Amino acid sequence: MNALHVKALLAFSAIVSLYGSSLVAAPPSEEPKVDFGREIRPLLSDRCFPCHGPDRAARLREGGIRLDDFDSATEDLGGYAPIVPGNPEDSEVVYRITSDDPSVRMPPPDSNLSLSVEEIARIERWIAQGAKYDEHWAFVPPRRRLHPFVVDAGWVRDDLDRFTLARFEAAGESPAPEADRETWIRRVSYDLTGLPPSLEEVDSFLADESVGAHETVVDRLLASPRYGERMAADWLDLARYADSYGYQNDVERRVWPWRDWVIRSFNQNMPYDEFIVWQLAGDLLRAPSRAQRLATTFNRLHRQTNEGGSVDEEFRTEYVADRVNTFGTAFLGLTMECARCHDHKFDPVAHENYYGLAAFFDNIDESGLYSHFTSAVPTPALLLTEPEDDARIAELEESIASAENALAETAEPERFLDGHVGGFSFEAIEEGALANASDAEKPGRVADDPRVAPGRFGNGLELSGENNATFPGVGEFRRWDPFTLSLWIRTPDRKDRAVVLHRSRAWTDAGSCGYQLLLEHGRPSFSLIHFWPGDAIRVRAREPIPEERWVHVAVTYDGSSRADGVELYLDGVVLETETVRDHLTRDIVSGGGLVLTLGQRFRDRGFAGGRVDELHVFDRRLNPDEIALLHAGWTPATRFEPADSPWSAAHEELRSLRAELGKLVDATPAIMTMVETDEPRPTYRLERGSYALRAEQVEPHTPPAVHPFPDDLPRNRLGLARWLTDPEHPLTARVAANRLWQLVFGRGLVATPEDFGSQGSPPADQALLDYLALELVASGWDVKAMVKRLALSSTYRQSTEGTSQRLPAEWIRDGALLASGLLVERIGGPSVKPYQPPGLWKEKSGQVYQADAGDGLYRRSLYTFWKRTSPPPSMMIFDAGKREVCVARRRTTNTPLQALVLWNDPQYVEASRALAERVLREADASEDARLTYAFRLLATRRPSEEELAVLRELLDDQRAEFAEHPEDARALLTVGEHVRDPELDEIELAAYAVVASTLMSYDPVVTRR
Amino acid sequence: MSAPFDLLEPTRRHFLSGAGLGLAGLALGRLFGRDETLPHFAPRAKRVVYLFQSGAPSQQDLFDYKPLLNEKNGEELPDEVRRGQRLTGMSANQSTLPLAGAQFEFRRHGACGMWVSDLLPHTAKIVDELCFVRSMYTEAINHDPAITFFQTGSEIAGRPSMGSWISYGLGSLNENLPAFTVLVTKNKGGQPLYSRLWGSGFLPTHHQGVQLRAGRDPVLYLTDPEGVSPATRRRMLASLRRLHEGQLEREGDPEIRTRIANYEMAYRMQTSVPEVTDFASEPDETFELYGEDAREPGTYAANCVLARRLLERDVRFVQLYHKGWDQHDNLPAGIRVQCAETDRASAALVVDLKRRGLLEDTLVVWGGEFGRTSYSQGKLTADNYGRDHHPRCFTIWLAGGGVKPGHIHGETDPYGYNVVRNPVHVHDLQATILHLLGFDHERLVYKHQGRRYRLTDVHGHVVDDILA
Repeated sequence: MNALHVKALLAFSAIVSLYGSSLVAAPPSEEPKVDFGREIRPLLSDRCFPCHGPDRAARLREGGIRLDDFDSATEDLGGYAPIVPGNPEDSEVVYRITSDDPSVRMPPPDSNLSLSVEEIARIERWIAQGAKYDEHWAFVPPRRRLHPFVVDAGWVRDDLDRFTLARFEAAGESPAPEADRETWIRRVSYDLTGLPPSLEEVDSFLADESVGAHETVVDRLLASPRYGERMAADWLDLARYADSYGYQNDVERRVWPWRDWVIRSFNQNMPYDEFIVWQLAGDLLRAPSRAQRLATTFNRLHRQTNEGGSVDEEFRTEYVADRVNTFGTAFLGLTMECARCHDHKFDPVAHENYYGLAAFFDNIDESGLYSHFTSAVPTPALLLTEPEDDARIAELEESIASAENALAETAEPERFLDGHVGGFSFEAIEEGALANASDAEKPGRVADDPRVAPGRFGNGLELSGENNATFPGVGEFRRWDPFTLSLWIRTPDRKDRAVVLHRSRAWTDAGSCGYQLLLEHGRPSFSLIHFWPGDAIRVRAREPIPEERWVHVAVTYDGSSRADGVELYLDGVVLETETVRDHLTRDIVSGGGLVLTLGQRFRDRGFAGGRVDELHVFDRRLNPDEIALLHAGWTPATRFEPADSPWSAAHEELRSLRAELGKLVDATPAIMTMVETDEPRPTYRLERGSYALRAEQVEPHTPPAVHPFPDDLPRNRLGLARWLTDPEHPLTARVAANRLWQLVFGRGLVATPEDFGSQGSPPADQALLDYLALELVASGWDVKAMVKRLALSSTYRQSTEGTSQRLPAEWIRDGALLASGLLVERIGGPSVKPYQPPGLWKEKSGQVYQADAGDGLYRRSLYTFWKRTSPPPSMMIFDAGKREVCVARRRTTNTPLQALVLWNDPQYVEASRALAERVLREADASEDARLTYAFRLLATRRPSEEELAVLRELLDDQRAEFAEHPEDARALLTVGEHVRDPELDEIELAAYAVVASTLMSYDPVVTRR
Repeated sequence: MSAPFDLLEPTRRHFLSGAGLGLAGLALGRLFGRDETLPHFAPRAKRVVYLFQSGAPSQQDLFDYKPLLNEKNGEELPDEVRRGQRLTGMSANQSTLPLAGAQFEFRRHGACGMWVSDLLPHTAKIVDELCFVRSMYTEAINHDPAITFFQTGSEIAGRPSMGSWISYGLGSLNENLPAFTVLVTKNKGGQPLYSRLWGSGFLPTHHQGVQLRAGRDPVLYLTDPEGVSPATRRRMLASLRRLHEGQLEREGDPEIRTRIANYEMAYRMQTSVPEVTDFASEPDETFELYGEDAREPGTYAANCVLARRLLERDVRFVQLYHKGWDQHDNLPAGIRVQCAETDRASAALVVDLKRRGLLEDTLVVWGGEFGRTSYSQGKLTADNYGRDHHPRCFTIWLAGGGVKPGHIHGETDPYGYNVVRNPVHVHDLQATILHLLGFDHERLVYKHQGRRYRLTDVHGHVVDDILA
């Protein structure tokens, strides 16, 4: 670093700290004016607000003193006031913060907080000057101001430069000189695409003497699809994107289509407001496109559990909370999670406001558990069809509609209990078997000793709730098959919940996939379920059945996948029912080992003390007369098939069309998205954030102090998104502009991008931040335009040490792959599994990580499979986001483990030898040319003479060593899957590989300056 | 440029990155703007080894002797004992909750008279070294939240683990080994583990636990690739040093100096880690003490020996995990296997630390994430039963490092269902562990998202009764 830079930096630092206290502007004779926003609010917030701020309950505990607004702080409390403007001596606050008496002293000793002598003096000075309060800067919408005056207008390339230059000039200093072109193109290439420039790109830029040379580069970078990948990588941290669910068994989930949508959106330069409206509420836009619905997956990327025995509502509550927290951090730059358990201690977000936001995110038909036994996509889910499937689906739907009409217009021939596929009278259990009157080959089985007891006719079966009878091979229906179930039951009491008959693997552990006849609060209910509750049909009787009396229950289903295709009968009469769910779109036969079962289900409540008799199963929908016959005690004597008829032909036609559609849909992948329920779910304030402690109901609303919610907006997610993207919103554009600044400069103008509240860092230059925010909105939220302005500014072009940063995890690996020629560039697709040390998944969860062969080893790192409970270690060691919760910035560390990755991870060892091959093939034959080529590929600049000397020596030594140990050379050249070029000399290649490997961990290679 | 704005928080980043494995706590204290040095007071323990029994061992079958359960074996759990407390969905729908007495003999041991079942003969022999807490309780009823709660103080992911807090608070005593190491028994089925359990949460990444593993790479990426000889590695490192010195002169970035130091530490680790994981120098007597399976790298017993070797080298926090304690069914058979794998080595570790004079300032903790139910999950038969998760009471033990030896703390009701005396919450245990290390748990804080976070959230009381 040269002396000039140091001087400039030091002077600048002085100015920045002076700026805070307005020393520059103050007349020399007067006492400096204390700036409330920069100097007092952060102090009061940090030391006093925990008890004397926005949290009502805390204030109540601590005597009601409130210091976060002027009126409360200066209120007369009976002869005294916390703050008496202009009069520190009479201010209770000053008395308290200066007292030596521990019972009086504030902050109290047991808070572990304290004020320094300087801080106390500052507060006294502020009170003496009138104790002026301002609203917190971030809640006041940005306003256009005159650009700062600058002398050296020639330095200004973009108006934003005026802000930085004005500061330099105010301090009597100059900006740092321009960075050399190699430094700049490396910087801008990494910042805009996450990859270094190629040598051709460098050389062409170096040779371009035109005025627009820089702009040419930036335009090229912004037009490159790599731009979208780079922008997406940051968004994935905010969106807590991962390829697995996250809790306990941490099963894989398929959400990468959303990731690809993000990449596409950035590349197409979707306006930022639209970008967030789609993600929050794309499903609520008018006639939403598939992309708009896909965007809402953003809200489903939180962790989810399938741990056995978990309480559904406990985890569903967590999911909603995660959506709120992510919304707060990503868009508002506010730490909402504080308000989950009580009023926010620092910012104006009341406890009920948190649940006001939760109410927006509460209304999807979801479960707190995903399915352990099936691979159902947790609902709501969006079908991800290919265009040709769409056409076929539309065609089939049309054909089905006409086939339904055709069938309705055809007279059904007389029927008499035909289609009988199972008949069980439970007269006796013989060697564990139950006779099947319909098919002797398929007897029922009993488990855990159900008892033969007096039945409706002769004997029946009595169940304990833990034991069961199963009927293998009977009732194996798909959702397009019509069927009928008929049985007599006798319940000893009114069952809150009892599983009478079902064909499913489990309850919540399988998303209830299958069909089931239950008693719910004594009322028979019948369901066909892919995943409960969002992909299912449920029809329930309005009245409970009588207790301690035999009743005949029958269910008919027509194969339509619609609730109106289900009828429930009691004692031979159709029951009045309510439709609980009517949205079945996928298979009902997943989970493995499905068998029609009476009386019990895995981890569910069985039919304890219930009796059953005369179970009959038909593979067709019986008509009401037939049901009445069953009720009257008729049983099908023999199995017979009716003769072919126009009706049976029409019926079969319909069934086969439904089957074709069903199979097509079942084979099509789906993804979790948001779909608003018809009726909003009531949302409650939760005491201490606990699902079990419901307080009053809360309507959807936003924290009023942040920004008013216009009356004309709907109180749903779309309204919320519109509220958020209102150009007058004080936070959204600032948070976005700050993040773009951070993206390009490595650090935000607000250094805490996750917290714009009163505990966050005040902006280093609010005028500049506000200017950028307003410009962003004025440009129509044009992200590429803003990035371009930042990248072409004089401010960005300076050469200063302050911008240097170790490359993020992704860029280090991607840069090495690009330089070595191994990088496989392809946008999107399923996540990939590059090299990973063996056993890491296995020792945690028994799963096996199988590294990909071929391309999957060499894709960009944002495509690396992200398993939350065992993330890729080579990226974690370089501080990659953990992806468990929303994170707005990473912290950069510098550790020995990072050296070990760069030296020994096969990814880098292989890249080193591939790079060596490239050098030997592509560079001029001289040693210096080759070393320079390798150096430039990795570091973008030419090596100095000293650097070259070091590399030459290393190369010589390695040549000698490998000549002596050719087996070592050979071994090194086999690390990784890449097949080495057999034309190249082993010793030479290995020696260059060692040089390349050394360079891979060299500072200018892993650093962006 | 961002440079001027960087200077609002002068040199913090550079300082931070200087905090490699070897940076002392004092420096960290200054770094994060804490106006105090750490620890807060004289510590009783300098190191911790935490023997985490993942899956939750059954207290009724090991330590919390409840003859009433045998008397009432098969009878329904009385409502007045359960008091409407929530159950997991795995047994909540059972038509009956039959009490299940332990099928193992219990005896009193040692001068303290602690009841221990015959499943743990080795532990039984050292009860007078141990401090039993029979009144632990927690909030979560499922493994993931419960174990996350135990290890990070919160059921929700994202907080730093206990070892990370201690690494952050105390730094390292050994320049060449990570301050926080993690050992997982290999080839065990059962409840999964998650890297967040030893993650650094919002603390800088270098505080995360470093796993030492059986096999070629005891630390990930430690071993040089095939074909890179020690001489080659030395040469590469020497070249890097020369390159970096030139680069430092050119750029003046203190980060480069840190990089030089870290690279050399990485190189030293390539020697120091294999040195600690190689048992060649251990006498036969070690394996007589810990059991023969300690010879097999990656077993629990081997990990206990390795833990002792790490502690000898002043590694601050050694976290072991042994999976497989989740006996929902077939408990008698399952727990026998678990005890056979762990009993001898756990006891040996305590004995070994003591005779080496290390127990005095090393805290040993043994326990799982919750307890198990007094009733049987699934069918209770004459010789078989299972137990579901039970957060209301369970037993752990501690030893050394400032806790009372031969002490029994807390008591549960005759059904082994509720704590009736001296309850100890997870946050209390965490507060106590921090206390023994010289921290006031309310003052070991890290400001993140505007809030001062603690391992103990806003709770926790030091359990004074168990302090020696």
